[in-house]
Amino acid sequence: MAIARSIVDITVAAARRENASRVVRVNVLAGELRGIIPAQLILYFGLMSQDTIAEGAHLGLESVPFVGKCGRCGKEFDVKDGSLVCPECHGQDVQMISGTELRVKDIEVE
Amino acid sequence: MKINVMTDVLEANDRIADANRQVFDTNKNMVLNLMSSPGSGKTALLERTAGALQGRLRLGVIVGDIETTRDADRLEKHGIPAVQLTTGTACHLDANMIASALSRMDLASIDVVVVENVGNLVCPAEFRLGEDFKVMVLSVTEGDEKPLKYPMMFRESSLLLINKIDLLSYTDFSMDAAKANARRIHPDLEIIDTSCVTGEGVSEWVGWLCRRYREKFG
Repeated sequence: MAIARSIVDITVAAARRENASRVVRVNVLAGELRGIIPAQLILYFGLMSQDTIAEGAHLGLESVPFVGKCGRCGKEFDVKDGSLVCPECHGQDVQMISGTELRVKDIEVE
Repeated sequence: MKINVMTDVLEANDRIADANRQVFDTNKNMVLNLMSSPGSGKTALLERTAGALQGRLRLGVIVGDIETTRDADRLEKHGIPAVQLTTGTACHLDANMIASALSRMDLASIDVVVVENVGNLVCPAEFRLGEDFKVMVLSVTEGDEKPLKYPMMFRESSLLLINKIDLLSYTDFSMDAAKANARRIHPDLEIIDTSCVTGEGVSEWVGWLCRRYREKFG
């Protein structure tokens, strides 16, 4: 719910800066690791956006896969079951490249 | 018309968390965000901790709960200054709620502030509060597969306390599997086994607190 409210706030502020009168669509990047439940977020977004210029906007959620990069051999791999061990060299020094982001990417306005 | 935004959804929360952190640093407070499922023994652990810390570090607690002030009442009986935040419907604490608690605590007379988050393994990991460390409690009655189910929480924590180890023989919880699972998510995660009934591991946990405090403030 706090996340939905924050998305509405960011959207309304960005739309106002461009003097838009209505928001048609909001695209959000949601990293896999964030555990966002789309149906729930869409429901809360609908509630939180009531009586704002974002009311009725479509919320598009783009899931970003959890990708790690091995610090030893440099291999990039999809992380499965949250296991941060390199499938190539079994190194454990793995950096998370993506999967934790939660960002309003862009919005479409009229 | 399309407008590029690229704004982090939790940016506003993070800004407030940074401000909280400044207040804590000014008051020489080390701050822990203590997270777990409901009923894992966070409050019992703090009751034990207060006794063990006596004469070493002064503990203060900010307790988040959806309803009731029972946890704060329990802590105050042990002489621990506690501020209760009732979150209503929210399943986690956010930086703004912590900001509202700051003026209700005598921070200058506290060394370690523990924020006892709402029992929940999902949302609390998302919201920075202004803490130095996230610490997680996992009790053996919950199951050793939890790290794989809630990776974000285990990834974000610096220390994992595996609690209620006095109940191990009544469960099929495997310490080895739990630790291996947690370290798959977070290879350098520190882990301490604890029991608030027998007191096992409490001195090790208190040692961790004192060491981290010294590292921070010398």
